[in-house]
Order: sequence, then C-alpha cells, then structure tokens
Amino acid sequence: MKGGTIADRRVHPATVALRFLKDLPQTLIGLPALFALISDTGWSYVLLIALAAAIVLILVQWLSWRRFTYGVGAREIVIESGILSRNRRSIPFDRVQDVDIERGPLHRVFGLAKVRIETGGSAKDEGVLDSVTLAEADRIRVAVRAGKAGEALVDAASRPQEAEGQLVYAMSPGRVFASGFFNFSLVYLAGIFAALQTFEPLIPFDIKNPGRWIGLIDEDAVRGFTPRAWLAVLMVALLLGVVTGLVRTLASDWGFRLTSEGARLRLERGLSTRSEIVLPRNRIQLALIRSGPLRRVLGYAELFFQTLTAGKGGGGQHSVAPFATDEEVARVLGQGKRLQMPNRADMQRVSSRHVVRSAVRIAAAPLLAILAASFFRSEALFLLPLVPLLLASSFIRRRVHLYGLNGDTLFVRDGLWRQQLWILPIRNAQAVTLRRSILQRWLGLATLTVDTAGAPMLNAARIVDLDLARARALMADIAAGVSAARPQHDAAPGSVI
Amino acid sequence: MMLVGSVIRTLLVLAAASLGAAALHKNPGVAPAMVLVPLLVLLIYPTFVSPVRRYRAWGYRMDEEELRLAHGIYTQVETLVPLKRVQHLDISQGPLERSFGVCKLILHTAGTAHSRVVLPGLSRETAEAMRGEIRSHIRQEIE
Repeated sequence: MKGGTIADRRVHPATVALRFLKDLPQTLIGLPALFALISDTGWSYVLLIALAAAIVLILVQWLSWRRFTYGVGAREIVIESGILSRNRRSIPFDRVQDVDIERGPLHRVFGLAKVRIETGGSAKDEGVLDSVTLAEADRIRVAVRAGKAGEALVDAASRPQEAEGQLVYAMSPGRVFASGFFNFSLVYLAGIFAALQTFEPLIPFDIKNPGRWIGLIDEDAVRGFTPRAWLAVLMVALLLGVVTGLVRTLASDWGFRLTSEGARLRLERGLSTRSEIVLPRNRIQLALIRSGPLRRVLGYAELFFQTLTAGKGGGGQHSVAPFATDEEVARVLGQGKRLQMPNRADMQRVSSRHVVRSAVRIAAAPLLAILAASFFRSEALFLLPLVPLLLASSFIRRRVHLYGLNGDTLFVRDGLWRQQLWILPIRNAQAVTLRRSILQRWLGLATLTVDTAGAPMLNAARIVDLDLARARALMADIAAGVSAARPQHDAAPGSVI
Repeated sequence: MMLVGSVIRTLLVLAAASLGAAALHKNPGVAPAMVLVPLLVLLIYPTFVSPVRRYRAWGYRMDEEELRLAHGIYTQVETLVPLKRVQHLDISQGPLERSFGVCKLILHTAGTAHSRVVLPGLSRETAEAMRGEIRSHIRQEIE
C-alpha cells in the first residue's frame, strides 16, 4: 500500500518462535503415538524424527510469516496471507468497529501483542495481526482511529450517566409464574425413555419392539408393564417438565424490567443472578414475535429484538418481553426504530402450490414407508389413515405462512405450532437469497431468505414457496429498499462504534 | 474466462478419481480392468459433463447498487448482496487457481447465513476492479 499511513510490512519475526512454542504442546502430545509406532527402534531415531518435525514446523511458520504482510492505507487495512492459497483482504476503516490489543503470557515474554481488528462481520478471524510489538500495535490503533476521524468517536467509558429511565415493560410475579407454566420442556419425557432403555435388562419386556410397547401386538408381553404404569411414568415426566420449566423461568425472568434510557434500552432480569443487558436502539436489526399454540389462544407472546453480533453486550436475539399481551408487545415494539405490527390487510399468502410441495415433502416419505412395510406386515396398512392427516396439515401450513411488505418493513409469519412473526426493516437486510430446488422449479416456486446481522443460523426470516415472479419482484424491492435507505450512521452496522 | 475455472475443477475431479482407482487397484484378487473400465465409464459424467454444467450455471452481475450471483444445477440459488452491506473483501488465490491466473472474490457481510459470499473464477484484473468498485461504495455510504 503506497501513500498509506503504515507501509506494507510483516509482523514481528519473533512470531515464528512464538507460534512454534504455542504449537509445541500439541506436537508433544503426538510423540507418545510416535513411540508406539516405532517402539522397536532406538531413541536416537525418535529424537531425529522429532527434530525433523520441529524443523518442518518452524519452516512452515517461517514461510507463513514471510507471506503475511499488512499495511494501513489512507482508507483501509490490507492483509495478505497464505502460503499456497494467497489471500488478500481489505478492511475499510469505515467498517472497523474496534481495534483490540490482546496479550497472552507468551506474548508478554516476547514483548509482543496481538492486534484484532473487529468489524461487524460474524467471522471471528476478520483481521488478526499476530504478533506485533506493543508500540506497533498502538500505532496501528492510532492510524485506524485517525482514519475513522470523520466519525464521531463515542467512548464507552465517557458516555454520560443518565438518570433512571422510563419503564417500558415489567413482569409481575404472577406473570412470571404464568410464563413458567408454558415453558415446560418435554426433555424429561425423552430422558425417561432413555433411562428405560438403559435399564432394559431389568424390565420384563422388549422395549426395542415398538409394536409391543404401544400395545398393538403381542398383548401378553406387555402384561409385566401395565398401561396404568405407563400412564404413571408419563405423568411423572410431565410433572417434572412443568416444574423444571417453572423453576427455570423463575430463575431467569424474576423481576424482569425493560427500561428506556434515551438511545438505549436496559434489560434486567433474574432471581439470584441479576443479569443486565443494554441494547442500543440503533443496533436493533429486527423484531421477532414467537408464541406457542396454548399461549396464542390466551393472547400471550414472546418478543425478541435481534442485535448485531459485534459489540460488548453480545449479539443475537434478546427476549425483551418473555410473556406479553398484544398490547404490551406493541408498546415494546414502539421502542425500536421503524418497528411496528403489520396490518392484517398487508399480509399475503404464499403460492397455492405451496400445498402441493409441502404435501409431497411431508407425506411422500411416510407413505412410501408404510407401503414398503405393508409388504412385510399387512398391519402397517392401518397407519394409512394418518396420511390424510399429514396432507391436511400442509393445507393449514399455507394458511399460517404469511408475508407482507409495507413500505420499508418486511413481515414474515410462519409456523404451525410455534408461530413466529418477523418484523424486518428492509434496510437492515444483509443479503437476499432466492433458492429453487428441482421440485420448486417444476412448480414455478422459489424460497426467499433474508439474511440479517446477528440472525441465528437456522432461524432466519424465510418465505417459502413464493411464486417465482413474485419472489423476483420482492427481491428487487428489498434491494431497492436497502439502496434507498439514506446513509445513516445509526442504521449501517459498520458505522456504529 | 471462467471456463478456466471449470478446467480446474475437471482436473481436481480427475485427480480424485485416479486416486480412487489406484486405491482399488491395490486390492488383490480383482482384475484391474474389471474395476477400472466401469469406473471410467461412471466417471465420464463427473469429470466431463458436470463441471461444464456447473460452470454454465455460474453467473454474476454487478449493478450500481448490488451484486447478484447465481449458481447450482439442481437446486438453483440466486444471491443478492447490496454493495453497501459489504463489510470487508478478500481476493483469494489457491495454487491451481494461480497457475490458471484466476482468483476468487469473497465478500463478507455482517449477516449470519451469508456472511461469506464467494465469487470464483475471476481474472485477477476483474477481481481487482470489482474490489475497487465495491470499496468505493462502502466509502460513499459513510460520507
């Protein structure tokens, strides 16, 4: 990098020694295996091999040190690395969230430091300089900070202490109890079955044969373990599930308070260990409302705010109202920027061919399995009436899967049992993916996934089986929405410090 | 230009295939030809047909505001990355890629599922040019 603040250079040469020392323990662990392999040869051979391995290790470290260069330019940091695979990474200053300096015990021995350049991305090793001298680390930090000078640097330590905030949502003890009842887990059910399996030799029947423990076939084998006993086990498991759910909820949600303090939301919760999370409003990426079947009937739901991954408060989804009425949910939502409940009229269903696809996906495998099983056991045919049930569920599935784009907010609702509603200001979209499997291409459908910062891997906002033309149009709308969003410091993840 | 990429893949597949054949070859009691001939026939598709199809399925377009990628033969995936959402950029080149003079452009966004968007088989100049373009977008957004 020419004309930059810090010219291209390598990290400190002692890094080679440092990394070698760091890797040594792993290599030493490998040595006993080596002994076992060549136990009949002499010591000298083993030492020779160890020496050769050490030399190779050092050589590799040296090569990677030689190939690793970094430079700080006027606008960006450039890091080049890789022995065989060459990689050249540029990190614009505007995207740098923080420059961390880390020093492990080994670093201190050598008087070095590891510089970690954090951006809003989710990868851990975004920009790591391992290792430079402490003075150099400071220089890099200063250079990057200077490069960012256009932005107002808000130092976390120097921000003014604000007065007591305004209470947005709190849970009364009664509410916590009520919430606890719905948090029962069926893990215990599985646990008890697992236990039964473990102590199988002690139980006078064959647990591995499902036909027997359902009581369909071979009645007398079940005699040792009566249906009543089964019921008792089931009840105990359910009770355990409810009690643990209650205890867990009490411990985590007791005295839940969400207060609004200017630009931030403060969240306090917990019985014995009070935890406190501060959510800067402008870091809120989207809202997610989740509710189970029972809770929905009673009019309660849980509201989450999803925040950026980077930052001290931790990212991901934070429950900001674990058990709230619609009214309370709307009130808490109002605390976020550009978040609102959807109008019923804005929500649309996905393509009617969604039913066909989900029917094929849900029912095809069980149907085939039943037919195949009926070759061996004609009783299997009794399971056939279950298939229409599955088909019916795919009809319902389409009824509950809704989406809508209202101005700059995308709404997606999904889930048969556990319903989820995403409220996603499209300016926060990071990438949009349109995916079409073979079956979807035959049916002219597409699945649209909107990726956001801090989203859990498996639970991103997804619209399944849109009509292809619709999906394309929606994709274009979202892209236009992101582009049209005025460059604002608060909304762009990279520009938040 | 991206054809080179497919050639690389073909070579990779071929290398893997010959390794597999060699492994089978060592097995005594089986005539080498008995194994190798059907194997070679089976290998025609993965070595010659599939890379070409995969290459044909790859496509990208860069607009003012966004980068669109498309790939996949059976499950077709289209990805759209708004340029102002790019966090940082990599240009990466493996040994084989280097010998063919192509490289990969990797966009990192703040998202989770698509935090790494990879565009393979670009010539060095194209990749550099695209990188410059995207970089200027990031800058613009801040100013």
